[in-house]
Amino acid sequence: MMLLLAAVPSWAADTVSIDVGSVYASNEGNSIDPALGTIRGKLQSMFNYTSYRMLDRKRRNLSVGEAGEFELPGRRSMRATPLPSRGDKVRLSIQISDGPRKLLATTLGLRRGGMVLVGGPTHQAGVLILIISAE
Amino acid sequence: MDCRAALLKIEAKADGLLPREAEAGLADHLAGCPACAEECAAISATGPALRALAGIRAMEKAPALDVMRTRVLAGIEESREAHRRRSWVARWAWVPAAVALAAAAFLFYPAGTDRSPFHPSTFDVAVEDVESEAATVALVDKGDDLPRVIWIIEDAKT
Repeated sequence: MMLLLAAVPSWAADTVSIDVGSVYASNEGNSIDPALGTIRGKLQSMFNYTSYRMLDRKRRNLSVGEAGEFELPGRRSMRATPLPSRGDKVRLSIQISDGPRKLLATTLGLRRGGMVLVGGPTHQAGVLILIISAE
Repeated sequence: MDCRAALLKIEAKADGLLPREAEAGLADHLAGCPACAEECAAISATGPALRALAGIRAMEKAPALDVMRTRVLAGIEESREAHRRRSWVARWAWVPAAVALAAAAFLFYPAGTDRSPFHPSTFDVAVEDVESEAATVALVDKGDDLPRVIWIIEDAKT
């Protein structure tokens, strides 16, 4: 039992759990990945793609000021850094790169449990849509 | 019929190969030839004697045959039992392996990986700043019940 407890991750209140799901959206087929949960309907109502498949999903627990690297499909990468914030707000600095090219640099303010989508980078016959949430 | 021909017929009769129509001629010769009659009697007695001898030898060998039969049957049963044990082991061998695999997956599954579905509690997001060196970026806001979208349009690919 002690071994099991030691294996369970724990984090303090001043850390932010960042969850990044990489979704491949395309018009190849008509399948919606069940792993997308309640976000499936949102994606279908916002975009015109017929197929949504989650390629990867990663979660990191980061302290304020600590940068976390997330590998993305297609040799892309995302760096997320929690910034100082108040209350139940979470501020994140997000940078997405495609090799040496910096595709996006943004600062977001979310409530804990909130979510934002970053999409558009081409991938195979469709695009990537990143589902970024923070708790 | 001379004695030489009679001897051939006597041997054929002992072997059961003498045609019925030849038996009368042989009988006539034996009736008039004591030597051939004696030979015929001796040869005819050989068959029953051989059968009797074979029976005696079989009775002598019976205990050994019984032992051999018992040994063969025991070997067959032992082989079947070993096969049954192997089948039982093969049928349940996956259980400890599956338990070990499940325990390993629970203990060592990467903490950064999560396959539980997304259940966001809010889509309230403030975009404080946004910029790009290699793409055009658009902000899409379709209402409070839908997530905000930052859409990257890669200049080099459009």
